[in-house]
Amino acid sequence: MKDALKSPSFWILTLIMLINISVIVYYAPVEKTMGIVQKVFYFHVASAWVGLLALAVVFAASVYYLWKRADRASVLALASAEIGTVFITCTLLTGPLWAYPIWNTWWTWDPRLTTTLVLWFMYLAYIALHGGDGTEARKRLAAVYGIICFVNVPLVFFSTRWWRSIHPVVISSEGMGLTPKMRAAMFVSLAVFSLLYVHLLAIRMRAISLQQRVKHLKAELFA
Amino acid sequence: MPSFVRKAWLIYCKDLREEFRTTDHLLSTLVFGTMLVFVFSFALQLVEAAPEAIFPAVLWVSIVFMAILALQRSFAKEKDSGALDALLLAAGDRSILFYAKFLYSLTVLLLLEVIVVPLLWVFMGAAGTTVHMPLFVAAVFLGSWGLAAVGTLLNGITVQLPGARLLFPILAFPLFVPLLIGAVLCTQGALVGETRAVLGWLYLLAAFDLVFTIVPLLLFDYVLEG
Repeated sequence: MKDALKSPSFWILTLIMLINISVIVYYAPVEKTMGIVQKVFYFHVASAWVGLLALAVVFAASVYYLWKRADRASVLALASAEIGTVFITCTLLTGPLWAYPIWNTWWTWDPRLTTTLVLWFMYLAYIALHGGDGTEARKRLAAVYGIICFVNVPLVFFSTRWWRSIHPVVISSEGMGLTPKMRAAMFVSLAVFSLLYVHLLAIRMRAISLQQRVKHLKAELFA
Repeated sequence: MPSFVRKAWLIYCKDLREEFRTTDHLLSTLVFGTMLVFVFSFALQLVEAAPEAIFPAVLWVSIVFMAILALQRSFAKEKDSGALDALLLAAGDRSILFYAKFLYSLTVLLLLEVIVVPLLWVFMGAAGTTVHMPLFVAAVFLGSWGLAAVGTLLNGITVQLPGARLLFPILAFPLFVPLLIGAVLCTQGALVGETRAVLGWLYLLAAFDLVFTIVPLLLFDYVLEG
């Protein structure tokens, strides 16, 4: 914690987050029919975006690990999965806050909701498999599972999409159902959340590497 | 016969022979399956719903539970007896081992279903409904295919790690989701006679099976390495 307070990137990010919140609160207009509750959208979509981005990073890092056997790739995949889980949890929590007043239900088995929930389960399974103890077998097998999960996401999405859908489509072939100001606020939010992801990723990667090094040194010491 | 197919066939035959010599695992899985049928039918007898509305869901939940038991066998028995390395040496190519074990898992699963599905059919009172048999059989077959393919791949992963066998259902469940949605809707279509409407779901099942039969060809070398 002390380290984090000393690093300039922490303070820069705090400032950017505050700007993002004021853009959402003051700059973005209040939606005509939904009212103030629509503001949660900027957090909801940005978290979902980071959740998906993190899975793509897990996939790319897993492929790279199996190819080059670089330990850093495995650490990157684990850190990305952990942060992805946090953001997907945010998505799953902010969704119902909006859905209850608008859809009159906390949860429904819509494609996007179902896919997000399955994604969350896959992240948990991936983290359980990886374990973080840094043995070669765990890294290798977690990399294989990370690749399978990425392949599975489109299958989950399309299977649930044919099933039924009531979720609003934000970006469709006809453009976006948002006013220019709302769109600007959304893109600011997406960019800021991506930066937050990168920042957290760097911290988490360092922590995992140190953890594994401590474990390694302990093993050497008692061997 | 090309040597790839021949080797896979020999390992497959060996596994089946071994399974039938000591039937304890097959038998206990079967008993578990029939108990599931009994519990579900007993619990749902007071639910006033048409059989075709609840039968597909109950069918696939039972099959998945049985599969989770049955599919954990394929690599575990070799790992436990320390024969996995020898088998790897004998097979040469690791994907041969995957396809042999996949076929073996699929066979065991289908054998179990041949007994459990008719039982469930009778107990759930679905015997009165007219069913589109080819679609029903296709749904069960393609569904089991996908379960066996994913299960074999994941079993190869979990046997490598000490104490990770409990992870098998956790790793499998999220991957089973698209398969289960397709299988349940296909089964329902077969029961209510909407064969044309659910044809798309049959294609989805086939696509899922294809993906998880081809992906191991690329990835299985990494699973059984070392």
